[in-house]
Amino acid sequence: MTTTVQTTAAVSLRGVTRTYGRGSAAIRAVDDVDLDLPRGGWTAVMGPSGSGKSTLLHLAAGLERADAGRVVVAGTDITDAGDQQLTELRRTRIGFVFQSFNLIGSLTAEQNVALPLRLAGRAPRRSEVRSVLASVGLADRVRHRPRELSGGQQQRVAIARAMVTRPDVLFADEPTGALDSTSARTVLDLLRAMADAGQSIVMVTHDPGAAARADAVVFLRDGRIVDRLAGADTHAVAERLAAWER
Amino acid sequence: MLRLARAGAERVSFGFPPREGIAERWSLFVGATLSVCLGVALVQSSLLLLITAATMDTPGGLSPTERLRFDDGRTAAVSMLGVVMGGAAFLAIFIISSTFAFTVDQRRRDLALLRLVGGSRGQLRRLLLGEAVLLGTLGAGLGIPAGLGVMAVQAWLMRRMGFVPDGFHGQWRMWILGASIGTGLVLAVAGAMAAAHRAARVRPLDALRDSGEATRVMTAGRWILGLLFLGGALALAIVAPHGGPAGGQAMAMNVPLCAAVAAAAFGPLLIPAVARLIPTGTGGPLGSLTRANLRDGRRRSASVAAPVTVLVALVLGQAGASASFTTSGIEQLRRTTAADLVVESSGPIGERIAAVPGVASASTEIELPAQITTGAGEDRETSTITVLVVDFAAYARTHPGSEALLGLDHRTAATGPGGDISAGTTRVELPGLDLGDLPVAAGVPAAVSGGADLLLPRGMVPPAQLTSAPSATFVRVTPGTALPDLTAHGKVSTVDRWLAADAETRGSTSNKIMVLVLGLGALYALVGVVNSVVIGAAARRREFAEARVTGLSRGQVIRAALAESSAVSVAGILLGLVAAGGAFIAVLNTTAAVTGTATLDPPWTLFAGLTATILLATGVTSVITSWSATRERPVLLLGARE
Ligand SMILES: Nc1ncnc2c1ncn2[C@@H]1O[C@H](COP(=O)(O)OP(=O)(O)OP(=O)(O)O)[C@@H](O)[C@H]1O
Ligand SMILES: [Mg+2]
Repeated sequence: MTTTVQTTAAVSLRGVTRTYGRGSAAIRAVDDVDLDLPRGGWTAVMGPSGSGKSTLLHLAAGLERADAGRVVVAGTDITDAGDQQLTELRRTRIGFVFQSFNLIGSLTAEQNVALPLRLAGRAPRRSEVRSVLASVGLADRVRHRPRELSGGQQQRVAIARAMVTRPDVLFADEPTGALDSTSARTVLDLLRAMADAGQSIVMVTHDPGAAARADAVVFLRDGRIVDRLAGADTHAVAERLAAWER
Repeated sequence: MLRLARAGAERVSFGFPPREGIAERWSLFVGATLSVCLGVALVQSSLLLLITAATMDTPGGLSPTERLRFDDGRTAAVSMLGVVMGGAAFLAIFIISSTFAFTVDQRRRDLALLRLVGGSRGQLRRLLLGEAVLLGTLGAGLGIPAGLGVMAVQAWLMRRMGFVPDGFHGQWRMWILGASIGTGLVLAVAGAMAAAHRAARVRPLDALRDSGEATRVMTAGRWILGLLFLGGALALAIVAPHGGPAGGQAMAMNVPLCAAVAAAAFGPLLIPAVARLIPTGTGGPLGSLTRANLRDGRRRSASVAAPVTVLVALVLGQAGASASFTTSGIEQLRRTTAADLVVESSGPIGERIAAVPGVASASTEIELPAQITTGAGEDRETSTITVLVVDFAAYARTHPGSEALLGLDHRTAATGPGGDISAGTTRVELPGLDLGDLPVAAGVPAAVSGGADLLLPRGMVPPAQLTSAPSATFVRVTPGTALPDLTAHGKVSTVDRWLAADAETRGSTSNKIMVLVLGLGALYALVGVVNSVVIGAAARRREFAEARVTGLSRGQVIRAALAESSAVSVAGILLGLVAAGGAFIAVLNTTAAVTGTATLDPPWTLFAGLTATILLATGVTSVITSWSATRERPVLLLGARE
């Protein structure tokens, strides 16, 4: 691929394959995927359960190593990156949000958000961290611990934590999967605002409503990309998904 | 949990550990600190007592005989304290390092999260090692005063049991401060190091999901450690029978230590496999849950069982070996004593007794302390021993197996059953009498129960030296005559009665030594066991909450946890039994090689008591920890998706 692809794409996968298990038990979770996700755009990944969405996201974020193919994130080829390089990447280039928020239970919202900066060797200002928390609507919850927050609030803390380093790409694996519709809407509004401000976002979701908020949707089945949609509404996404899940 | 302090007012501050974090992880930190504190206390106390005993001055105003007896007692006390010290060091190394490794292992999830938000391997290692330094120093700091308490107890035990004189107290040394802090620090860091390295190496996603590398239970290090110590145990067991009575005993006593470390290293393989075979008494869904937990928590089970294994192997193996050698020694003594009566008295009364009608023969053995010097120049070594002054011919007649004495003249000394002196030339000094360099010939073979190291012929020692020394006269009665009345000559007992009384004394001495060597160490290991149960339950609040929302009652959760912990304890006990069994094999072979009769005297009562204590301690701890971990309503815990 040309260098232009690498500079315009937030994430670029070429012939990426990931197999779990060996022999007859081997599962091709991701099977020879070519994918370019645009910089400054919000892409949703959809597909039946077990189709390889999470694996794809982990590969793109450098959390999982590809068996074959190349992975370029924010202009950096991470296919053969060592641990130090991947750590550097996690610190500065990417943010990751999990379905199960994965906050550290003993730390307050503020401390959770400040953590990546501390790990990067900075002593973050309280005002800086608070403004990020304020941007996810949690200005009044800075001293709460995860167990004292609702699911939607916890997920917003997780997004703040992922965003505090101003990453090039934000990866989110079913960020609304554990949330009720109101909390989900708050989170999606937040992501939309971030995308509008130029943030690259890759999000796995099962919810056509959530996918419709994104700029584009790719459909995955048995580890392969089988379809794409751009600017579709909830109804169109749902119909397409239903067609692929049949 | 984070060493990220140093924050100004306007910075986001992280306490150490964060206050709420203490609620969840305090048991890990307390457990780790406690293991260091008690380990350091035990080592420090043993070390100070050892040094005090070794530098103990012989009090003034003693007669030459008393002075030599005092020196002999000091040598015995020093060598016993050496063993106590070795045991304490072994336990401290084992328990501290495994506790630290366990606390690191229990936090894999937290550590994975740190990695996911940008923590590097180096940061993780520094964090964990920094923690180990802090907790090691804290534990050692608490251990130093605690060690003074332990020392008072140990010194009191030794005084009470008569191993040291009444005024004996452990003495403080200033440098022990550095030694104790260093011990705590080094052991804590060493324990955390391997676990930190491993935790840092696992890929974060694997640690979070508990898949891939994170599920590997047998690391290369574990294999190497296990095989090394297994090899050590086998080598000791094989060589022990060729080590003579003293060397063989020492080697056999060390077999259970090596075997226990090997068993603990292979724990992740062995413990779940064994534990699953144990009926937990909970059938149905609870039973399957217990079995599934055992399979899933292999590393946890192994970490909980490790101190159990070491405790059982140590106590059972060493006490069993010691009791067996005592029994074997008594039986050997019985076989090598051919007499009917024993008269305990003082001085050379043999001739007078032999003159009594009905006495066929009498062998008087007079005990004296002596100082011997072997080697010359640089290698010169002086030590205090016990000698027996005997009539070689009478002795040989009374003690089958020592016929070699018959060929010796009266200017030659002979090796005694103590076995510490070999044939050659030795300079011998009796209290107030220098006998000069004596030729020493092979006389009596070394006996399991030891005894005098040197036999001196009667003619060599002036009667004045002998009159007040304690003596035992072995009397053979002319067949067909009534037992002669010898009460005028001393305390008379039949040989059987005398042997029984002697056995009792030896048994009780060996028991006292075992209490000294093992008592406090076993208590420490028991604390280690309780500690590991607490640490094992610390990270399970969430799991318990999940079980409850799945429909288990709180009681059922506690029962399942109890069944699991009991199965793990029993598996640990069984492995300990196997390790002790290794020692027993060495004992059988050694006693057979040394006395001709294989002897084993396994301490079943002790084993039953130990098993009951362990099961009670782990059971009660498990109930308390799971009860407290289920105190919160489950939804509260599950609501927070950490
Ligand atoms: N660590 C693993 N070991 C073995 N197989 C795995 C592993 N992770 C994923 N798989 C398998 O790979 C396939 C894809 O899994 P993946 O988690 O990517 O699916 P998904 O599309 O995210 O599903 P869902 O929508 O249910 O989250 C599945 O068949 C899964 O069983
Ligand atoms: Mg998934």
